[in-house]
Parts: sequence; structure tokens; C-alpha cells
Amino acid sequence: MIINKSVTNETLTLFVEGRLDTTTAPELEAALSASLSGINALVIDLAKLEYISSAGLRVILKAQKLMNMLGTMKLINVNESIMEVFEITGFVDILTIE
Amino acid sequence: MTIFRLIAAALLPVLFAIFFYILEKKTKFAKFPYFVKQIIIGIVFGGIAVLATEFGIAVEDAVLNVRNAAPLTAGLLFGGPAGIIAGLIGGIHRWFCVLWGSAGTYTRIACSLATVFAGFFGAACRKLMFDNKKTSWFYGFALGVTTEVLHMLLLFLTNMNDIDTAFTYVAKCAMPMIIANSLSVMLSLLLVSLIGKEKLRKPREKKQIAQIFQFLLLICVIVAFFVTSGFTYSLQTKISVADADQLLRLNLEDVKADITDASDANLLDLTRRIADDISILSASAELSALAKKYNVSEINIVGQNGIIQSSSRYDFIGFDMNSGEQSKEFLVLLNGATEFVQEYQPISFSSELSMKYAGVSIQGGGFVQVGYNSSRFQKDIADHVKLAARNRHIGTDGFVMICDEQFNVVSSPYEEHIGTPLQFETDNTLEEMLELEGQRFEAKGRMEYDAYCMFIRAEGYFIIASIPIEEAMFSRNIAVYVLAFMEILVFASLFICVYFLIKNLVVDNIHKVNASLAKITDGDLNITVNVRGNEEFASLSDDINSTVKTLKHYIAEAAARIDKELEFAKAIQHSALPSVFPPYPSRRDFSIYASMYTAKEVGGDFYDFYLLNDHTLIFLIADVSGKGIPAAMFMMTAKTIIKSLAESGMEIDEVFSQANTKLCHNNEAGMFVTAWMGSLDLQTGILSYVNAGHNPPLIRKAGGNFEYLKTRPNFVLAGMDGARYRKHELRLDPDDTIYLYTDGVTEATNTDTQLYGEERLLKLLCNSQSNDPKYLCMLVKDDVDLFVGSAPQFDDITMLSVKLDHIQTHDSIITYPKAESLQIVTDFLGNKLKEWDISLKSANRVHIALDEIYSNIIHYSGATRAEVTCIRLEGLIKLIFKDNGTPYDPTALEDPDITLSAEEREFGGLGIFMVRKSARDMNYTYVDGLNCLALTFEV
Repeated sequence: MIINKSVTNETLTLFVEGRLDTTTAPELEAALSASLSGINALVIDLAKLEYISSAGLRVILKAQKLMNMLGTMKLINVNESIMEVFEITGFVDILTIE
Repeated sequence: MTIFRLIAAALLPVLFAIFFYILEKKTKFAKFPYFVKQIIIGIVFGGIAVLATEFGIAVEDAVLNVRNAAPLTAGLLFGGPAGIIAGLIGGIHRWFCVLWGSAGTYTRIACSLATVFAGFFGAACRKLMFDNKKTSWFYGFALGVTTEVLHMLLLFLTNMNDIDTAFTYVAKCAMPMIIANSLSVMLSLLLVSLIGKEKLRKPREKKQIAQIFQFLLLICVIVAFFVTSGFTYSLQTKISVADADQLLRLNLEDVKADITDASDANLLDLTRRIADDISILSASAELSALAKKYNVSEINIVGQNGIIQSSSRYDFIGFDMNSGEQSKEFLVLLNGATEFVQEYQPISFSSELSMKYAGVSIQGGGFVQVGYNSSRFQKDIADHVKLAARNRHIGTDGFVMICDEQFNVVSSPYEEHIGTPLQFETDNTLEEMLELEGQRFEAKGRMEYDAYCMFIRAEGYFIIASIPIEEAMFSRNIAVYVLAFMEILVFASLFICVYFLIKNLVVDNIHKVNASLAKITDGDLNITVNVRGNEEFASLSDDINSTVKTLKHYIAEAAARIDKELEFAKAIQHSALPSVFPPYPSRRDFSIYASMYTAKEVGGDFYDFYLLNDHTLIFLIADVSGKGIPAAMFMMTAKTIIKSLAESGMEIDEVFSQANTKLCHNNEAGMFVTAWMGSLDLQTGILSYVNAGHNPPLIRKAGGNFEYLKTRPNFVLAGMDGARYRKHELRLDPDDTIYLYTDGVTEATNTDTQLYGEERLLKLLCNSQSNDPKYLCMLVKDDVDLFVGSAPQFDDITMLSVKLDHIQTHDSIITYPKAESLQIVTDFLGNKLKEWDISLKSANRVHIALDEIYSNIIHYSGATRAEVTCIRLEGLIKLIFKDNGTPYDPTALEDPDITLSAEEREFGGLGIFMVRKSARDMNYTYVDGLNCLALTFEV
């Protein structure tokens, strides 16, 4: 999994590539906790994410809970198979997906 | 009784010597500090010396005691301080004990000094001569004699102005005290040696230099001692006897002159009176009347011609005075002399008659001669004679006495002798005795001692002088005693000096040289011999040093050459072993690592491994007996033979059997190899192994800890033709690790010569944080290095470790469930799905399922073995999980509420839910201790 970051004003954008599973989820979690200070808007770009497992969902959910307090969070460029997972798990209702 | 007391006093130091010796050997007394022990022993032995003084044995007016043995024994047996303390206590007590009369004042200084000396002497001898060890009994005896002799000499020296009394003491005390003291010291040393079960004298084939010197010196000294003593004795005897002779003779002459003078004066006076009464013409008849009147024997008138003119004895008339020797003497009266007295002697006229004559010249020529018989003249001087010997003493106890011709004593200093017959014990007859006049003879008189005697006759009396032989020989005895004592002291000093000098100048230096040589012999060529006490040893040291230097140079040259060759040998040896790690980069189902750290010398360890085919890994470790080039060459042979046999595909027990046969041939050197070889089937995890006398490997089963894989080893390779080798088998699970090593590890030795040991190895591996082969090998090497420290490495340290990571077959993969395994299993699945050309979307679903289920197994099941099987059926993919964890049925899980808001959502439970949603069906069973979950996906 590859994670790229970009920060504009108080908006952090993360580009997540590859698989977000048990093995890689801790990396994203670490990346988030290291970059969130002074941020009030988080954007996660999932264009190149192949699949996401429950470990990945857990990190996303944790980020969402955090951003609900700090500001806003949105997921962009969510592809079909990832979307399917979000739908199955009811995540579409709690995430902002564009 | 006296002798028993003496023995008892002499035995006291012996008893206490034994007592303290046993105390030192058998009890906690040995742990007391050195000086405390010395003080205790010093005080006790000082007490013994005090007792010896208090219970001295009076022999007449001398006091015998055995005081000096105690301090000397303490010093020799137990140490300098003890001896000195004992000596001071004994000596000071001896000094002051005269105050309460335990001992005499006369010998005070000598005895005190001698006792103090005994302590210091014992201490000095122990330190200087005997290297602070207790010595042999014969030295003890000699030192005892020396001390007592010094004691006796001190007696003389401190009483120089009263040498007689001193000598009396010494003569009485010397022998018993010398013997008792020296025997006491000797017995102490002897018995202590016997109790200590030490040999009395170490039997040596060759004598020590000091001993040879001592032996020769002893012979010379003994000869010199007897020669000088004998010479002095005989010389002094002769002098003393001559002195005694002279003394006796002078006294006799004196007494005789005394008597004779008195007699002569008396007779001349009488003769003169007779001459006044007669004239030249007096007839013989008148003379007879005159003779009667004066009561003399005869009166002769001699004419100028020397012929008797007239005489009271008619038969003498006409006698020519010239005709006899005796009568002739009177002719001096015709030649101007006026008076003459002759000794009492036989007369010329008739030798049977003895007479004393006196003559005076008369006017008108001629002379009157009057003859007196003995009773006549003795009567006149009897009173005088009586007094002559009364106050006459010769020396102290010698005296003179006078007896008459009937041998009745008439004069003597002893009143009771007078008037009694003479008493002499002698073997001679009376005639023989009379012959001895004027000569010395030995006899025993009334005084009951042997005496030198001499007699002469005067005026019909016997004058006898005598002096006790002992008194006559007094000066001789002193001279001989003092000389003998002096010689003993001088020779003892000489002995000690020679011993000490030889020890210092020669023996000690030789020992120093030998000590250095011993180090050099042990291989330390950097040692130099540096003994420069004297020219000879300095030169010897230089010679040895230059020899060693030359030798060192040659050795260094040779060593450099050999080192170079050994480096080559080592390089060749190393290059024969696989040394690139990881050796099979594409294989992820097992890891292997091996290392060999050779000692300075080439050794015979080796390891080897190879893939026989894509699912069989062969690995072995071996150790050839011995070291050096032969071992290295044998190792190459063994390695080649085993490899060629193994690669032919035969079973490993057969490989060892055949290798053994081949190695047994042409093995003149009698070398052998211990080896452990394993064959691991990577598709089943079955490990076959065979052990030819090698150390048991360590094995760690998944989830467990390292333990020794101890199976009864078979015989070493090349040891015996026809030896049989048995194959053992065991199943390895993923993550199981095996660690092989040679005895270079377990027998690594530190500077305290302790072995590293199997215990420490096991403990180290059990506490290891990882079971990665490379990590393990490094860990052990580091720990061995730490243990060994600066000690040199003697043996090769060789190890090999293999870990089975997973077991992979065509359809399935078995792993140890852990985070790292997920990637392997994911890759396995990815490869399968790619192979089957499954659509990305379907593949992702299967991947998610794998991720969810396998993660659960890792985190929650506690399983140590998980098998994932992936099969493709028509339009379906079947994914089966089997694990040995706790029973868990995911199908029974309730679905999570997916309608909750982000804040209300829990983190868990989503995974299984997602799997259930994406799979066509999900089936769980628990069979034979295994959770079995089967998932089916539509593709």
C-alpha cells in the first residue's frame, strides 16, 4: 500500500493506493495520527485502492469519528468494488462520499 | 630420679610441639590470624622454658635444666615470632628468678642470654636456612647442640675471673644438658614429621649442591675436629705432666735441702768441737774414747798425704783416702777447703756400711774426719724433719710427707698420718719402688684419688710428694673443653654460612634460571632470563637469552610460512562450503543459515546443504577428529563423498552407511567424522535424520521452546567398517526451527577453563527473541565470544540452522498464523487467482475473505497451524480454512447493526459480516480438533 499526502490550508488530502487490509491498515492509521494536527478538513482519495477489509474500515471509521469533532471528512474517487463494501456495511450512511 | 625428671623436662616441648601441630592441622586454630597464633605459641613455649627453670635439677651445686629446647623448637617448628617470644620470656624469667631463688646467680647472665639466643637462633635458621618451613630432625639435633655449646661457652666467658668454678659447672652440666636439649628438639621435629606422615627424607637420586657441600664439609670438619682436639689433648697432657713433674721435684728438692742443710750444719758443728779436742798426734785409743764421748761412729785423722794416721777404728789406720770414690771427696780439705760434709752413703772401705762423714782441716796439715751413722745424725734433726713437710702444699690438694727407713710417716700436713705406716696402692714391689726414686709414678694413697707421686731420699728419710692427677690436668681439661666448644661453634657457623651462601649464590639463582626456562619451555619465548647476582650467572643468562632469541627468530620465520599455507588451506576449505545467504532467494518456504568460525589452526568442521529437488532440502553438519591439514583434507573427502551419495537420491541412512564404508578404506590415519544429516520434505514437513555420533541438535516446535533432540546416536563415520545407521523421522510444522552445531560451541573454553556447555546454549536459545536462523547463529556466536573473553579459540565454531516457514502444495498452504504469514498466504492466493484469470472484482472479494478469516485466526484462535486451501470448481472458487485453534463458529455470529451513526458504531464484527455478504455460502465444522471453515464464491 502506498499513501501520499498533500496539505492545502487546513485541508489534508491522503491518496491511498493498493490494498487496505489487516496488514496495511496500521500504516494508514499511523499516517493519519501523524498528520492531523491543525487540520479541519480531511480528504481521502481512494481512486487507486484495490480493496478494503474490515481492518481498513475500522481505520476509516476511527478517522470519521475524529473528524466529526475536528471538522469535516470526505472520501473521493471511490470505485465500484469499494463502494460495494461501504454499502454492504452501511458505511455509506455515515461517510461523506463524493 | 634425677634422670627421670630430666627426661620429663625434655619431653614437655615435644608434647606441646605435637599438640600445636595437630591443633593447626585438624582444628579451626588454623584459621586464626598468623600473629595471634605466633603469640599464643610463643607464650606457651615461653611458659615451658619457665617451668624448665623452676624445676631445674640440682646436681651437687650445679643446676641442670632443659630450658633452651622450648624456644628453639618454637622457632624452628612454628615460626620466628613464636621462637623469639618464647626465648624472651624464658630468658627474662631466668634473669629475675634469682630473686626468689629458683636458680643461681652464678650462671644468671649466661643462662638468660643463651635462652634469648635460642629463640632468635631458631627464628633466624627457619627464615634464612629453611625457607620458613620446618626442617628435618637432624638439623634440629645439630642446632640443639650448637645452642647448648654456646650456653656453656657463655658460662666461661661471663666468669673469666673464676674459671675454676665455671669449669666445675661446665664439666658437670655440659653433657647432660647438651644431650637433653638437642634430643628434645630432635624428637619434636621427628614426631611432628611422623604424625604429618611426611617422609623423613625425600629420596632423591641426585643430591642437592648444598647437601654435597655439607657432606664434604662435615667430613672435613669431623676430621679437623678430632685432629685438633687430639693434638691439643696430647700436647696439653704433656705440658701438664711436665709441669706436675717439675712442681713435685722442686718441692722435694726444697724439703731435702732443708733437711740436709740442717743436718750438715749440725754435724760440722759437732765435728769442729771434736777437732778442737784432739791433736794431730792423738792416738787411736784417745780417738775411741772421744768417739764414745760424743757418741759418734768413728773419728779419723788424715795426714797430708791422704792416709789415715789414726782412727777410732784400728782397721782403718793406714787406709789411703785416694783409694775409694767416697773417701776421695774428702781430699778437698788438703787443697785449701776447711770443712766438708758428705751425704749419707756407703763408705769406700766397705760398701755394706753406710755412713755420713763430716771433716774439718786441722792446723799443721791434715784433717779430722768424723763418721756418723743414721740414728746418730737423725736424732739431732728429728724435730726439724717433723716440721719440714707440715705446712707444705703443692697446688691446692697436693702435699709432701716424709717417712723414715721403716716407712713410718714422720712428717705430713695431715696430723693423723704421723706415726702411722705409709700407705700406697701400687702394683710395684718394694725393690721396684726404690728404683723409682726421683721419677713420677701414679698411685692412690689415703686421699682416695689418683695422684702423681715422686719421692727422693735424704738423710735416711723418704720424702714423698703427691698431687691429684685431676688437679695436675686442670688446665689441660679447660683447654680441651673450650677448644672443643669453640670448634663446634665455629663449625656450626661455617655450616650455616656455607649453606646460606650456596643457597643465595648458586641454588636460588639456579632456581630463578629454571623458573624462567620452564616458562620458555611452556612456549613463552618472550621471557628473558635475568639473573645477575654474579658474573657466572649473568653470563649464563645472556647465553640463554641469545639462544632463545635466535630460536624465536627461526620459529617466527617458520610460523610465518606455515601461517601462509594455513591461510590458503582455510580459504580452500571455506570456499568448499556454501557461504552465500540466503542461498535460495526465491524460496520463501524455508530459511537456512550456517556459519563456520575457524580456530587459528585449520580444523575439520564442515556443514553442507542442497536442494535435492524442489521439495527436498538436505542439510548436514560434521566434525572431523583432530586438527590441522590432515583433518582438513579428510573433511574435504568426507564432504564430497556424502554429497555425491546424497545427490544420487538414496535414503540418508544408506548415504551414511556407504559413506562410512568408503571413508573406512584408505583411512590409515585413523581419523573419524561425527555427523548429523537431515532431509526435510518441504511439502509434508517430514524431517528424516541420521546421527553419526554427533552432538544432539536443538529443535523448537512451533509454539513451544527449544529442546535437545536426543536420539541414540549411531557410531561415528570412518570409525568401523560395517557400522549401521538408523534413520529417524519427525514432522516439522511451519515456524519450527532446528539448530545444529559442533562441539566448538559447547566446548568453548574461557580463561578459567570452564566450558560453555549445553545448558548455557539451551538457555540462550530459549530466551531468544526470534527464531530466525541467521539471528540464532549470530546470537550464539556473540554469546560464545562474550563467554570466552580473551581466551584463545581452540576449535572451529560451526553451526547451521533451518527454519520451516510454510508448507506449500499445489492447492494449499500451511503456515504458522502470525502477521508475517498473512502476506505469504495472500501472495499464494493472489498467484492462484491470477493463474485462473479471475476477474479483479471477484478476486478482491476472495482476498477480503482471506484477510478477514486469516486475521481472525491470527488474533483470536491461538492456533499454531493454519492451512488454507483454494480450489477452483466450475464457476466457483472454494476457500477452505483449517486451524488448530480454539473452536469458533463464525456462522453463528449475529450481524452488526449497520444503521448506526459513526459515533454509535463499534469497531468489531464487520469482517465476518462482510465475508458472509460476499460469499455464496459459508460452512463451519469442528472435526478432529480442527476448525474447518469452507467458503464458496461465485466467479
